[in-house]
Amino acid sequence: MVSVLTRPAEVRAASGGQRRRRRRRGQASGYLFLSPWIIGAALLTIGPMAFSLYLSFTDYDLFTSPKWVGTQNYVRMFTQDDHYWDAVQVTVKYVVISVPLQLGLALAVALLLNQPRRARGFYRSAFYAPSLLGASVSVALVWRAMFGSGGTVARGLRGLGIHTGSWIDQPKYALLSLVALSIWQFGAPMVIFLAGLKQIPRDLYEAAAIDGAGPVRRFVSVTLPMLSPVLLFNLVLAIIHSFQAFTSAYVISNGRGGPSDSTLFYTLYLYQRGFTDFRMGYAAAMAWVLLVVIAVITAGVFRSARRWAFYAGEDQR
Amino acid sequence: MSGALSRTKIGAVALVLAGVVSACSSSGGGSGGKQSIRFVWWGNQDRATATQQAVAQFEKKNPDIKVSTEFSSYNSYVQKLTTQIVGGGAPDVIQLDRPTFGEYVQKHALQDLTPYVGKSLNLSDISSELLSGEKADGDQYAIPSGQTTQMIVYDANLFAKAGVTVPASGWTWDQFLSDMRTVGAKTGTPGTTDLGWAVDWFDSWLHEQGKSLYTNDGKLNFTADDLTQFWTMTSTLAKQKGASNAQATTKMDGSTQNSAMVLKQAASEINYDSNLTSYISSYNGGTVKAAPLPSDGNGPTESGMAALPPVYYAVPKQAGHKDAAVKLIDFLVNDPGAGKILGATRGLPPNQTVRQQVCSAATAGNKAVCDYETAVKDKIGPSAGWFWPAGSSAIKTDFQQVYDNVIFGKSSPASAAKQLVSEANQSLNS
Repeated sequence: MVSVLTRPAEVRAASGGQRRRRRRRGQASGYLFLSPWIIGAALLTIGPMAFSLYLSFTDYDLFTSPKWVGTQNYVRMFTQDDHYWDAVQVTVKYVVISVPLQLGLALAVALLLNQPRRARGFYRSAFYAPSLLGASVSVALVWRAMFGSGGTVARGLRGLGIHTGSWIDQPKYALLSLVALSIWQFGAPMVIFLAGLKQIPRDLYEAAAIDGAGPVRRFVSVTLPMLSPVLLFNLVLAIIHSFQAFTSAYVISNGRGGPSDSTLFYTLYLYQRGFTDFRMGYAAAMAWVLLVVIAVITAGVFRSARRWAFYAGEDQR
Repeated sequence: MSGALSRTKIGAVALVLAGVVSACSSSGGGSGGKQSIRFVWWGNQDRATATQQAVAQFEKKNPDIKVSTEFSSYNSYVQKLTTQIVGGGAPDVIQLDRPTFGEYVQKHALQDLTPYVGKSLNLSDISSELLSGEKADGDQYAIPSGQTTQMIVYDANLFAKAGVTVPASGWTWDQFLSDMRTVGAKTGTPGTTDLGWAVDWFDSWLHEQGKSLYTNDGKLNFTADDLTQFWTMTSTLAKQKGASNAQATTKMDGSTQNSAMVLKQAASEINYDSNLTSYISSYNGGTVKAAPLPSDGNGPTESGMAALPPVYYAVPKQAGHKDAAVKLIDFLVNDPGAGKILGATRGLPPNQTVRQQVCSAATAGNKAVCDYETAVKDKIGPSAGWFWPAGSSAIKTDFQQVYDNVIFGKSSPASAAKQLVSEANQSLNS
């Protein structure tokens, strides 16, 4: 798109050197205007990232200067660290359970809210509200009280004759309480789904109805394909987001990732290594592995999307 | 025209840049004449209230020094403090415990206080046993905030209900285990909090056998077999309902707030006696008493108990106002008025004269601490050999994480012990 816009300018610029110079000056002032961002990105993002890549090959305890140890951090991580593999397992489990449930719920609610109904605006805001609060410490504290011993959840279930005890103090339930917290925050994908649903032309549904398609058939054959780009977008965001989950586990497990490593998210373990044990090199190595894994998974999702994501206007492929 | 245009452009860019620059350089200026120091610690509300009162006294006596105080929970405290020290924003007076003291001393983050001793810092009334633990290469790097020792705190009503009395000379381990099972069976509340969760109690258990967690040069001083034996003992007791269940044990962090005993999941618990005040004030519906640790031997070296500073006061090397900081520490440990206010919120006062004053005037919680320390006086051993080196914080955290696997049935005591020893060796070497 950019190239289309600039091509005529290039053609014109070729007619005179003076114009080219002016264009370059224009570019320079463009960069000048960008400079706050460029300086910020270089100093606060790119620089530290490069430094952390270097750190991942060192032994660094904050107090003394980094000591080069080659790939030792990576080797230890993959071969000698039980907690590391606990963390990987917990995180993957969390992503695999929470992403489909969250997106499924978001889509279901979006479909409901897409019906013409009274007080739609109110419901839309009401369902979106948890997403605004969800990542905060206060909500995690509320969650801890709800799922803790004597909390609402354990008591409610006891009323139904199900005796679970405190969820957050048992390895088999602790992660589920975190999954519940993430599902509850379905507002953001819901709003995006809703916008996607509004883009689907009415006449497609009418045509399908005339052809005798019922509601299920219309959903599978019209809604889903038309919504697939939005689904792809939400899926990628949700996966990345879940891999980086931290606050809820940190607050609910009191920073330990317990009981028995059952809420030891990857980022939480990274934080422990970095800020409890002060093994910054090791933590940096963990961060880079996470970055690569997220990049690979995202690329995989995009690749697979070629087969299932449908873009209007390119129906003949 | 183009010249005018570029001038406006440049002006606009300059404005934007000026905004960025001014946003970056907004650090405040100092106030003239008056020195401002920061004092940070972790702990419960009792400690915070008393400390803030003592600090107010100090400010009254030293009108040229202003002290701002901050306190938080232990976990966030250490992380924040280390980041601040490394980042150049160090507080002036800090509170440390054994693992953090070892870590900071070995990483050369603390100011050597020896030059102040005998001048603005008076240590003549503090026992040498207490002071020796804060020395490195003969130099004084921290000052004990007080003295504490290990205890078993118990609900006397529940014990009486179960017909269990604490033996006058303290329990042997066999007596202890069987009494805890009795309490569990007769009252429905497990006799004690599973003591396998904390490396501290394992340290006591090792000392009773003439071993310790670490050698003085910071190496591991126990084997996986020792730990297997300890964890087998503790986890078996839990299975027999003599000790708290896994859900209650995993919550433990040494605070009374998350204590299994205070939450009525156990009838007794091992802790340091500096917490006794807090147990007494936060425990509902029972009389809280303290007893010495179980031991199979006699005498102070086999009691598993030692005269330890519950926490230390220290001054970071990069602190801005070291003289004022030392003055505050001296006030906190030596001033009779401060001693009266602080009571035993950081253990019994380190200064002997102050301690006697505080103990003779003590009531309620503080009196209980004084009485307990007097009662077990002959059992309290020397603090030598209780040094925790750099890496011991990580081991303390790991110890609890790995024991979780045992109590939730994910691994056997033997394999958990092996894992802990291998990870501990890594923590000490890195």
